[in-house]
Amino acid sequence: MSCYAIYIVFVTSLQLRLFTCCLLLGTPPEDTHFFFINSKNYFTFFILYYSYDSTLTIDHPTKIALAVTLETFTVFSFQLLLSVGDLTVDVFFLSGRREEGKLLDAELVRRLREFVGVTNGNLDTRNMATLSFLYIYMSIFGSGELPSMTVSVWSELPTGAGLGSSAAYSVCLSAALLCASGAIPAPLKEWDHTARWCQEDLELINSWAFQGEMIIHGNPSGVDNAVGTWGGMLRFLAGKIIPLSRVPLLRILLTNTKVPRSTKVLVARVKDKINKFPTIMIPVLDSVDAISCTCERVLSEMTCEPITGEHYNILEELIDINQHHLNVMGVGHPALDTLCRVTLARGLHSKLTGAGGGGCGITLLRPETDSFVVQSTAQDLRDCGFDCWETSIGGPGVQQHSPVSVKEEVLEILNKY
Amino acid sequence: MQVRDCIVSAPGKAILHGEHAVVHGKVALAVSLNLRSYLQLKATTNGKVSINLPNIDTFLCWDSNELKRLISDSGGRREEGKLLDAELVRRLREFVGVTNGNLDTRNMATLSFLYIYMSIFGSGELPSMTVSVWSELPTGAGLGSSAAYSVCLSAALLCASGAIPAPLKEWDHTARWCQEDLELINSWAFQGEMIIHGNPSGVDNAVGTWGGMLRFLAGKIIPLSRVPLLRILLTNTKVPRSTKVLVARVKDKINKFPTIMIPVLDSVDAISCTCERVLSEMTCEPITGEHYNILEELIDINQHHLNVMGVGHPALDTLCRVTLARGLHSKLTGAGGGGCGITLLRPETDSFVVQSTAQDLRDCGFDCWETSIGGPGVQQHSPVSVKEEVLEILNKY
Repeated sequence: MSCYAIYIVFVTSLQLRLFTCCLLLGTPPEDTHFFFINSKNYFTFFILYYSYDSTLTIDHPTKIALAVTLETFTVFSFQLLLSVGDLTVDVFFLSGRREEGKLLDAELVRRLREFVGVTNGNLDTRNMATLSFLYIYMSIFGSGELPSMTVSVWSELPTGAGLGSSAAYSVCLSAALLCASGAIPAPLKEWDHTARWCQEDLELINSWAFQGEMIIHGNPSGVDNAVGTWGGMLRFLAGKIIPLSRVPLLRILLTNTKVPRSTKVLVARVKDKINKFPTIMIPVLDSVDAISCTCERVLSEMTCEPITGEHYNILEELIDINQHHLNVMGVGHPALDTLCRVTLARGLHSKLTGAGGGGCGITLLRPETDSFVVQSTAQDLRDCGFDCWETSIGGPGVQQHSPVSVKEEVLEILNKY
Repeated sequence: MQVRDCIVSAPGKAILHGEHAVVHGKVALAVSLNLRSYLQLKATTNGKVSINLPNIDTFLCWDSNELKRLISDSGGRREEGKLLDAELVRRLREFVGVTNGNLDTRNMATLSFLYIYMSIFGSGELPSMTVSVWSELPTGAGLGSSAAYSVCLSAALLCASGAIPAPLKEWDHTARWCQEDLELINSWAFQGEMIIHGNPSGVDNAVGTWGGMLRFLAGKIIPLSRVPLLRILLTNTKVPRSTKVLVARVKDKINKFPTIMIPVLDSVDAISCTCERVLSEMTCEPITGEHYNILEELIDINQHHLNVMGVGHPALDTLCRVTLARGLHSKLTGAGGGGCGITLLRPETDSFVVQSTAQDLRDCGFDCWETSIGGPGVQQHSPVSVKEEVLEILNKY
């Protein structure tokens, strides 16, 4: 049985500050864990302890028999031996070094905003990217010496197109900074080109990336950073994000019509349409749900059995049907109609992806679609004034690279700095 | 026997909403199309029965004595049953020279005429007459031209025989029959349709008879009380297709993806119901722009659903795109896979826009007519009320 020293601070509000605690108690040593306990009586207790035994985890909460009676003490410290048992209170686990909570450290954000010179007026991409970096850097390294480093980022993704470029950035930052700090290992072995982290480390990376996203977007869904972290395909329903086990790699054309649109406006438009014609629109939503389920099933089949032309036929039919439903919902656009028509003329099937009303579309390429057709289609789309990339979906999430495994042109850019 | 002369007309038919879904138990709305078939019946004294169908280049003449031999021993004058007199059909087929190999439009039109004529007049003397028909409707386009023809035949022959009165008063331009007489006309027209189509739904002849709009669900046909007259462009892409093939394609798709497709059918049903409600509102309250906005939205949504069902076609996409470029909303009507489309015109759509759109569509190789839907069913005309160019054609014979 380990010894614990317990420091109990009596507070009347939820305005807990990490630095306030440090002020009261001095800089906590390594392995200090903070417990915030909301007890059933009137006051909330903030209990600090440091353990000699780092095997203590949240799964073995300590019974603190004295907590209930300690209502009026402000600060005191005492040492006692406690038995391990159940604690029938809600425990919110905060870690000094491992900030995994769902909430941002608002004070840090505030100070960083001041530091960067961000007011409500200039929330531009540059400021957001800077804030995001500083927040993650300060949070990860902030409790010790701040290491000097150069961070360079090059993205193949267009910004502001709904393609998760900010999340990819946040995921990269999180992975790199966590890895640099030693919080997670570097998974790359000597002869590897690329390597991925284990599930637990990915969860850590994801939670930091989500914090980065919160700084950039305010109230993100979490899907973008989850995809950036885990890759492959995720099923997303009512706020729950579930990475799917195996999905085939599918070649696509990604097209940006570059028609600007407001996601907020489009979401509202759909809502209004549903309210205006519920009996017409609700079945359409049911149909879309069935499309997602059918697609998930087909993709799963494609990883278990030999892939046939019929698999691709079904994927193409689902794309076409969903595109019609999206038009019915009111998020179509003539540019997207053009995209679909131009690709269909080459026998390829497309749908908008994301908010619609312009923005991007994806076109499915079949394994047998030869590169002449692909190039010609891409050219047709560029002739319409669109940007077009040949790429794939379902590929890996965040990974560490050896220098040789990075595309030459990208490495060249990164190495400039 | 001297029969009454008359001129009658009957409208074609278009499906406003619900095609294909109706096969699967959903509501469809059928509307009269104001492209009409006109029939002139003239009593003659030359002992001959002639039919003149210039649209299909058919001009036939029989001696009434020839036809007398075809009279059946049984069968009254007013065969109102749902079943055809199979014996009469058999004998007429032999007479006309129809075998299973040449069931063409000409033969079907001839058979249909002879069947109705023989059934109505067959128990007495066969009066000599000349029947001339001119139609504004394209044939074989799913627009109910054969039903309009059958309705005209039935109305004219029943009227000529005195089985129903001639409703036209001295100063009238047009006049319609009472409900009971319309039911009689409709039942005979349905028999004519059975001869031409084998197993018709009955919607086409009901629309031709009653006009306006009909609600069609699971075999039940209900004429709707009042509907506004809506201006439309009717376009024929002239892309041939087989209704049978298209109906099967939809069925296959539903069986392949039931969870995806069945909600789409439900949505189409809701579209038909919403449209019916809006049109009914338009006859009770002042018509507003919002009414038309809703009609246009319903057209667009249904057109997407029809594509989802698999009955779209690039020519129809072109039709929709070309009209949309002028701010007008269109959908296919009928079987799809080509065929016809309807484009809604708003009251404020000026004739320059209408003409330009029609021209754009003709430039695509389509045929295009400006007309209206929801107009009257079968009616009797005074000669002055018939369009001059139509009367001219009818009077040639």
